[in-house]
Amino acid sequence: MKKGDVIGGYRLISEPTNANGGKCMWAFAEKDGDQYFIKRFLEPKRPRDDAADSPSVRIRRQLSQEFEDRHRTIMKRLRPDARGGGNLVLATDFFHQGSTYYKVTERIDTSSLEKPQALEPRHKMVLLKTLGNSLKQLHDIEIVHGDLKPLNVLVQKRDGAAFHTAKLIDFDDSYVSGSPPEPDDIAGDSVYGAPEWRRYMQRDGSAGPEHLTCAVDVFALGLMTHVYLTGELPHHDKRYGSPADAVNAGEHLDLDTRLSDEMLGLLRSMTARAPGGRPRMDGFLKALSDPKVCALQHRRPSTAKPKSPSAKPASAKPGSAKPGSAPDTAKPSGPRTSRIKTNLASTPRPRTATPPPEPTRPAAGEAKPAAKPAAPPTAPAPSAPDTAAERPSRVRINLGDRRPRPGSS
Amino acid sequence: MSNNEQYQGNLQYAVDIVLCIDATGSMYPVLDNVKSSALQFHDRLNDVMAKKGKAISQLRLKVIAFRDFGDDPSNAIEQTGFLRLPSQSGDFEDFVRGIDAGGGGDYPESGLEALALAINSPWETGLDRRRHVIVMFTDAPAHPLGTHSSVPSYPAAIPSSLDDLFEQWGYARSQTAVMEQSAKRLVLFAPDQAPWSDPIAEEWDLTLHFASKAGQGLEEFEMDEIIETIANSL
Repeated sequence: MKKGDVIGGYRLISEPTNANGGKCMWAFAEKDGDQYFIKRFLEPKRPRDDAADSPSVRIRRQLSQEFEDRHRTIMKRLRPDARGGGNLVLATDFFHQGSTYYKVTERIDTSSLEKPQALEPRHKMVLLKTLGNSLKQLHDIEIVHGDLKPLNVLVQKRDGAAFHTAKLIDFDDSYVSGSPPEPDDIAGDSVYGAPEWRRYMQRDGSAGPEHLTCAVDVFALGLMTHVYLTGELPHHDKRYGSPADAVNAGEHLDLDTRLSDEMLGLLRSMTARAPGGRPRMDGFLKALSDPKVCALQHRRPSTAKPKSPSAKPASAKPGSAKPGSAPDTAKPSGPRTSRIKTNLASTPRPRTATPPPEPTRPAAGEAKPAAKPAAPPTAPAPSAPDTAAERPSRVRINLGDRRPRPGSS
Repeated sequence: MSNNEQYQGNLQYAVDIVLCIDATGSMYPVLDNVKSSALQFHDRLNDVMAKKGKAISQLRLKVIAFRDFGDDPSNAIEQTGFLRLPSQSGDFEDFVRGIDAGGGGDYPESGLEALALAINSPWETGLDRRRHVIVMFTDAPAHPLGTHSSVPSYPAAIPSSLDDLFEQWGYARSQTAVMEQSAKRLVLFAPDQAPWSDPIAEEWDLTLHFASKAGQGLEEFEMDEIIETIANSL
């Protein structure tokens, strides 16, 4: 896979990279005058069609079939024409060439927003609502995104549009609520992971697969909402490796007190330790009914809360944050080389008071029945000419009509 | 903050990396670059991880320098055990700095023997989550496994064929794999030639191939690809 190669009819127009991708390589590609994002999966590998039968080949064929079935199932459940579906970046093509699987989506231009936290409250509200609606569409069919983080949300503003929108990408690690992959296999990000996700991986017995539900995404969305509104993650004592570690230890996250009381209450409940204490997406969206909720305000420093007894001074090692400044975890990402160009870094904020947490809210809204599957898929025929770089074994896996829709946003 | 000051309930990540470095004569123009990058690796990884708000609980590196059993069996393989960084960084630096480019004989080298040794390394099995990464730096194709197995210094227990080595590399639900499926990664900085591009990069899972130009070294080598492989999967 290199720039200039033609894979499945898509000509690579950028040098492939694994930047911001742990188990894939990706590049931009062009086909019939349109630009795409093409992802090469590192696993599974599909045995060649002429591979001699053996126990090894049989296992690998089974793995490949399961992989294809899983992708088909999730893509059939995701309807691009559903409300909010326009902000789900869905696959337009999925195929294997030789032994390797590829997935294609439209290319999203994300160059128009540097700092979401600098937006006016109304614009922040719209941004969060578009993200919330996308996530709601997943949750309504009991699908957990499973790797929700800023890198998997593309912020876009189309020419002439009044607002920025958030487009949700990368459902390749999604799973059905309550049925996650094994602890060693489950995806997720160590910064945005939920408390029960971390305990599930630690196999401490307190979190089984049934505990990994859509509430995993809600925890991550709570952290992301804090980032979008303030430019930083919530702070926590530096003894903890992540927000979830702190919450698992019984600590409250140190939310930015410039946030409105409504938002502080919402984020408190979204980052609750107990998954059942977090709101569902209906509740999240309902809370965003007024731009004032997304506004930042200045509070009197005299209301500062005494530091937690468990808090220890930060060490002064090179690379660590200075006392009182944002810890490393407050910097959600390093220099980016991917298609995601949002810069969320900001100067450290003063740490003042943390209002007491509001009581956790009951789950708001119930899941709707699973969306009706998409129309029977059709087989799009490859239209680009084959080249010497292509292999003869190339099979497209039908996903239905996933072509980019003109004017989608 | 030291590990002792960290909350003991934090999720613990272990990263093991084996660097397989072609030390034959043709690597002379780029070996210093590879060595320099290897020596900076720990600091650069820590820097990237910190920017992502992440941390590694335990990092170990192992180096396998290889040449050609068909040319000079006495120096065809030189290797360290797993060295824990930063506490054993001195041992790591001494070994890496001591690698000199030389020998090699014919064009193919003993890269597959080095890969087999790497796959069979004593990988970390503890902590909460692990990454086991093998990185291959070479500018040449490889002799088929077993070509020089009659040489007295040829390592024992090396698979006799590439198919057997593939079974040791494994795949999900494999009964013969010696590596942990969810932890393993193979990163190849190798020419677009057999066996690296095909069958290894084509058929082995969790393998990334960054093609170097055969016989022209690894000028385009970047350590970033290795760091991304680790940092984005934690």
